[in-house]
Amino acid sequence: MTKSKIGTMEAIMLVLTIIITHTISSLPREILVFTKSATILNLIFVSILAILFSYLIVRLMKNFGGCDIIDISEYLGGKVLKNIVGIIFILYFLISSSILLRNFCESIKIIYYPMTNILFIIALFILATCTANRLDFNASLKTNLLIVPLVLASIVFLFFANMNKFVPERAFPIFGDGLFNTFVLGLGNLAAFGGISFLYFLPPYLKKPEKMKKIALLSIAISAIYLILCVATLLFMFPFVMNSNEITPLYNATRYIEFGSFFQRLESIFLLIWILAYACYLSITSKFAMNILKKLTNIENKKPLIDIFGLLIFAIALVPKNYALSDKFETEIYPYLVIGITFILSFSILLLANLMKKKVKKLNLNSQ
Amino acid sequence: MNKIVRNLFILILILVFTIAFSSSYLSLSMDNLAYVLVIGIDKGKDNNLEVSFQFSTTSKSTESGSTEKTPTVMDTVTAPSFSTAVNLMDSYIGKELNLSHCKVIIFSEELAQEGISEEIYTLINDTQIRPSANIVVSKCNAKFYMEQTSPELENLISKYYEIFTNSSKYTGLKPNATIGDFFNAIICKTCEPVAILGGISTEKPENQGNNHIQENYNVKSNQTPIEGENGSENIGIAAFKDDKLVGELCALETTTYLALHNRVDRFLISIPDPDDTNGYIDIYLYPNKSTKVDIDTSTTSPFIKVKSAFIGRIYSMTNSSQYLEPELLKNISETCNKYLESVFSDYLYKTSKEFKSDINGFGKHALGNFFTTQEYENYNWCDNFQNAFFEVEVNTSIKSSMLLTET
Repeated sequence: MTKSKIGTMEAIMLVLTIIITHTISSLPREILVFTKSATILNLIFVSILAILFSYLIVRLMKNFGGCDIIDISEYLGGKVLKNIVGIIFILYFLISSSILLRNFCESIKIIYYPMTNILFIIALFILATCTANRLDFNASLKTNLLIVPLVLASIVFLFFANMNKFVPERAFPIFGDGLFNTFVLGLGNLAAFGGISFLYFLPPYLKKPEKMKKIALLSIAISAIYLILCVATLLFMFPFVMNSNEITPLYNATRYIEFGSFFQRLESIFLLIWILAYACYLSITSKFAMNILKKLTNIENKKPLIDIFGLLIFAIALVPKNYALSDKFETEIYPYLVIGITFILSFSILLLANLMKKKVKKLNLNSQ
Repeated sequence: MNKIVRNLFILILILVFTIAFSSSYLSLSMDNLAYVLVIGIDKGKDNNLEVSFQFSTTSKSTESGSTEKTPTVMDTVTAPSFSTAVNLMDSYIGKELNLSHCKVIIFSEELAQEGISEEIYTLINDTQIRPSANIVVSKCNAKFYMEQTSPELENLISKYYEIFTNSSKYTGLKPNATIGDFFNAIICKTCEPVAILGGISTEKPENQGNNHIQENYNVKSNQTPIEGENGSENIGIAAFKDDKLVGELCALETTTYLALHNRVDRFLISIPDPDDTNGYIDIYLYPNKSTKVDIDTSTTSPFIKVKSAFIGRIYSMTNSSQYLEPELLKNISETCNKYLESVFSDYLYKTSKEFKSDINGFGKHALGNFFTTQEYENYNWCDNFQNAFFEVEVNTSIKSSMLLTET
């Protein structure tokens, strides 16, 4: 159990952080390329499944009180499984955030800093992350509590400000590439709900663990609405999102916002908000990664880990030789990582641990 | 000691980041940039492009304090591609060209007929070009068009180019065609792109002197009866099929295009006077409802039903006008309906049979008739559009005249 506790709203915003950062990058484009005009239909379907899934997670975790997935792994498979699952999650948090950072920095470089080496742009984010991580655990979460609603509001504003340019007919043909593609292959879009992975770690941090159900359902429902808004903006505005590749398509949508000849070029404001959201995301994921390592190694003080994790993210972000490689990771490998780790591995552990607990209970009852 | 080391580390970091980001800030410094207002692209010799750039210079103030017209500078470069032209121009003027304030991109008719997708894709790929920059297809050389453009009521040419499409909302004589929409339409499988038709008034219309009032609605850039200081004129639409110019629309057809797209707030038309076979009535029409489009795609010849509704106010008055009689207003409404139905129908068949290009974007209305993208692609909308049949229904309700109702 940790000293720092998270409030209900902070926890909801925490889960939203992942989806927000991925949406700013290339997530909506990937979803649109896959399910085309049926994307909104597919997202409604996938969102219902994600909400059901998160409800199941809460139900299954309830039997383990204030334990997270690492504790549950230990219960199921001892120290070996605990270490394996812990390392997998550390790597997942570090690699996914590093590559996402790289992609975002590539966009910033192209748009604003064409003459600056990407190394320095990434370094600025790492510096911010390390500084934030030196503060209390709640400091990042409280900042996140301010930033995430700002990002949500910016996306709602983006949707309504561009409404006059919408072609709603682009939501047709209703089944896109067919029923199989929309409802069976389209299940891959569950990867958009990567924020579910935080649900496995939340119980020990919550001020009110009984609110876990509310946190899970509300955060996934808001994520779904947010994702549908983002995707609808792109689907209704641009026919090319489905046919061609573009760096940060949402940024392109911001360039179309104009209110007369006075209020133009608002994209800089959006980018500023998004930069803050990325800094929060990096701080939170690295903090969770550090906490997992602390749990695995029984380290008393995690302060020495801050710079090491910062350097690790920095190094991994610089690994891809070019944008093509980092984009390939984000679009082709990351979704499988989310489905594999969040939806299959962790859920299986949770399910098996529950079965084991039931069996043990049964045995105890029989022995009595 | 620890504090000193920490402060020193922070100082070094600040220094490193300042140096690292300074190159980007220096490249964006006003002193190093030349702001392009207009780009003109013509076809040059040996498959080259002749690219003209118009720049703004700082304004001069007279002794009395009034600001003179800001002079502009225009340079032209011949190069194999647009990007090479920009690069050569950078070197020539000794500053980096900045396209973030470019308001208009002009293509010559000759180049547009051969296809401009390469230039459009390159421009869209540029982070500086705004999606709201207008696209003009000039009936003459783009460079000549730029030279002749001299705004009469604006000191700043950039201001003129920023607002020159505003009149489309209340005249319906030119579209607000932007590069963002153009690019979308090139890629889109349900519509085709259009641009503003520009020209220089060098030739007077053949029918000048003929008082037939409706002939004024059949003019387009290059043929208008306007005389003024500003040599350029922008009336009409340049219609494209994919990236190639396939035809032009006159003033009345442009109004029809904008009315079908619900992009006009009001427009003036002249309809035959039901009481006077030689007379005409000028009416201001205001769209009442959005245009409804129904498409039947059961055969390879799509059947397209278009339904529009307008409210009208009579603008022209004579010394014997009686616009308070309900029967007369009903007659005028019916005449207006027939006239508009004929105009709309002629326009639609022109786009379908002559241009073979769905510039109206009817394809998007057809999407709802199919369950899957594959079904829509198999139907081959873009090619089948030329077989389309149209049924137009216009419902006009003439309310009254304006201040005077009876004379």
